[in-house]
Amino acid sequence: MGVLLSIALRNLMQSPRRTLLLGLAIGLVTTFLVLLLSLSRGINENLVTSATTMSAGHVNVAGFWKPTTGTAFPIVTGVAKVREVVEKSTPGLDYVVERHRGWGKVVSETGSVQSGLTGLVAAEESRFFDRLILAEEKEYKDGGSEQVLGDPRRLSEDDTIVLFAGQAKKLGVGVGDVVTIKTETMSGASNTADATVVAVARDLGLLSSFSVFVPKSLVLNLYQLNDDTTGALWVYLKDIEKSEETSVIVRGALIDAGFLLRDHESNPFFFKFEAVQGEDWTGQKLDVTWWQDEVSFLTWVLTAFDTVTWSLTLILVVIIAVGIMNAMWNAVRERTREIGTMRAIGMTQTRVLVLFLLEALFLGLGATTAGATLGAAIALGVDAARIPVPSDAVRTILLSNELNLSVQLNSLLTAVVFLTAFTGLSALWPAIRASRLQPVKALTHTE
Amino acid sequence: MSTASPGIVRLTDVVKDYPLGKVTVHALQRVNLTIEKGEFTVIAGPSGSGKTTLLNLIGCIDVATAGEVTVDGKSTGKLTDKQLTALRLNSIGFIFQSFNLINVLDIKQNVEFPLLLQGGMTKAQRAARVDDVVDKVGLRQFASQRPNELSGGQRQRVAIARALVTRPAIVLADEPTANLDSVTGTQIIDLMRDINHADKTTFIFSTHDDKVMKRADRIVRILDGMLEAAGLSEARASGVIENGGGVHA
Ligand SMILES: Nc1ncnc2c1ncn2[C@@H]1O[C@H](COP(=O)(O)OP(=O)(O)O)[C@@H](O)[C@H]1O
Ligand SMILES: [Mg+2]
Repeated sequence: MGVLLSIALRNLMQSPRRTLLLGLAIGLVTTFLVLLLSLSRGINENLVTSATTMSAGHVNVAGFWKPTTGTAFPIVTGVAKVREVVEKSTPGLDYVVERHRGWGKVVSETGSVQSGLTGLVAAEESRFFDRLILAEEKEYKDGGSEQVLGDPRRLSEDDTIVLFAGQAKKLGVGVGDVVTIKTETMSGASNTADATVVAVARDLGLLSSFSVFVPKSLVLNLYQLNDDTTGALWVYLKDIEKSEETSVIVRGALIDAGFLLRDHESNPFFFKFEAVQGEDWTGQKLDVTWWQDEVSFLTWVLTAFDTVTWSLTLILVVIIAVGIMNAMWNAVRERTREIGTMRAIGMTQTRVLVLFLLEALFLGLGATTAGATLGAAIALGVDAARIPVPSDAVRTILLSNELNLSVQLNSLLTAVVFLTAFTGLSALWPAIRASRLQPVKALTHTE
Repeated sequence: MSTASPGIVRLTDVVKDYPLGKVTVHALQRVNLTIEKGEFTVIAGPSGSGKTTLLNLIGCIDVATAGEVTVDGKSTGKLTDKQLTALRLNSIGFIFQSFNLINVLDIKQNVEFPLLLQGGMTKAQRAARVDDVVDKVGLRQFASQRPNELSGGQRQRVAIARALVTRPAIVLADEPTANLDSVTGTQIIDLMRDINHADKTTFIFSTHDDKVMKRADRIVRILDGMLEAAGLSEARASGVIENGGGVHA
């Protein structure tokens, strides 16, 4: 009823100090929640970006090859046939790339780092080069320039390598320098190759400390593998949201085509290694996953972050609820005679309840909308400022070297709806008490 | 007792006790009273005699300890809170001693409020009705002011307009002049009486002021929770004292 809305609004304006104070508290909690939610979405974006650049396609067809029951290699043999089936059976396919996997030591004159080797075919890649953000020279070289040097597309040349800034810094190398890669072959012999640094990429958090990019040929040479093998086929889709369902379709298609497949297990390939080594079979088995499987060991970060966000919010909200309740008790006390009057005139209990709830909901809606707007503005500002994250540990958690906040309408609505509902809920008890006041007692109430 | 006329208000053996610590206050003791449609009745008695208690029972904002209260044909004892609320909304208008207007609403909105609670009227119908009663109480030029911008007498006129706007069967006013100076108080009572004469609206009001009670058609005297006499002022003047059975000439 319109008149209730109008009375509720005017009552709020009638005590501006109380309204402003409460509104400020509710608004600030909303701002806080929006900032944390935006940070959480930012981390999620970092996760998706780094995962689908560094660790996985949207859908992955990897495999294990066991020459004997006691050994296992993360290799897919007979790639051409597998690839044909995948390309034919994947709905919404964008493109497929091959990634060879290896593990080795990258050595320079002044240092060394352990890292996974990712061998790729530069001509096949598109997204990879778009996503990879190159570092400015000063990010990995003391006294370096602000220039971005090198070109990752030179991975099309033999014996080249792309490092991440953190690795380049540890190794003391820059674009144009030569590093040595040392690996162990399947037969246990050690093998080395020299590679020229053609580009240095900006770090992508945890994942980037364990990855370097080299041409596919380099990995094949280091491991002495033939051309019809690969580490995994990374399948990119037009719509990343369809990754999981598509992985099921691809799995089915491969089984239909006569390939042996491992049961789906939501873990990155290196988690499965030990289990596969202990399994009692030989030959080739394929393993189909989607990108979240490959970074499932990282999703705890998001879960933990969201848990902390909501716990902190709940604590703040409970404190504020006490304030709201207190204010509503005051309002009910101050307006007891008015309640008695309205009840006498013929206002029902329900409408008295609605009147007080409306008052709280108005306050909540106004304050949360303002707070969410402020939060969104701050989040956008911080995101645009590209503030560097100072600590390694925090970088690991954020999966990024810069504070990345992603403001989403969904987060804003969540904060506004949740906190408005909570404001209403806090006012519920006083409002119920107000509605249950006996008209006579309310009318004779004296302050 | 006459059964021919049921009365717009009828109290039969009504008792109201208030528990007060360990003692019980007998606010009303076996009260019998019938008020006919269109009467202009005053409940007269000193402070603490039970006037407010009596009006509260008639106004359905309180319930009797014993006995039966019938208002506008409905026995109130068995009604739920919802039904009592509806009865108050549709059959009763209230005028309070301290005006009790809603401060955040302007005069027109205060008067319109009961119509909004009732629902069922168009905006134009409501506006016409509000204008009509606001005119009747002589407040046309104050219609868009807030209550706290008006004098006591003007506020009580607003309250009268609010009480009349739903065209209730009964208008109750508990000491409507107690917070007003005697000239203004008299004007308020005269306004109520004029409306009573013009529209035949039933008015029941209370007072402890002799000057005020003389302006009523019928005086019901109350003392210590018992009705002393009820009758026309002429009857009182001629020394005839009836018991509170509501039978009058
Ligand atoms: N809520 C209550 N609790 C206890 N006693 C009450 C209450 N209301 C009224 N009384 C008592 O009942 C008697 C009648 O009161 P009331 O109806 O208010 O008288 P009046 O309106 O004529 O001044 C008085 O003795 C008063 O003290
Ligand atoms: Mg009284």
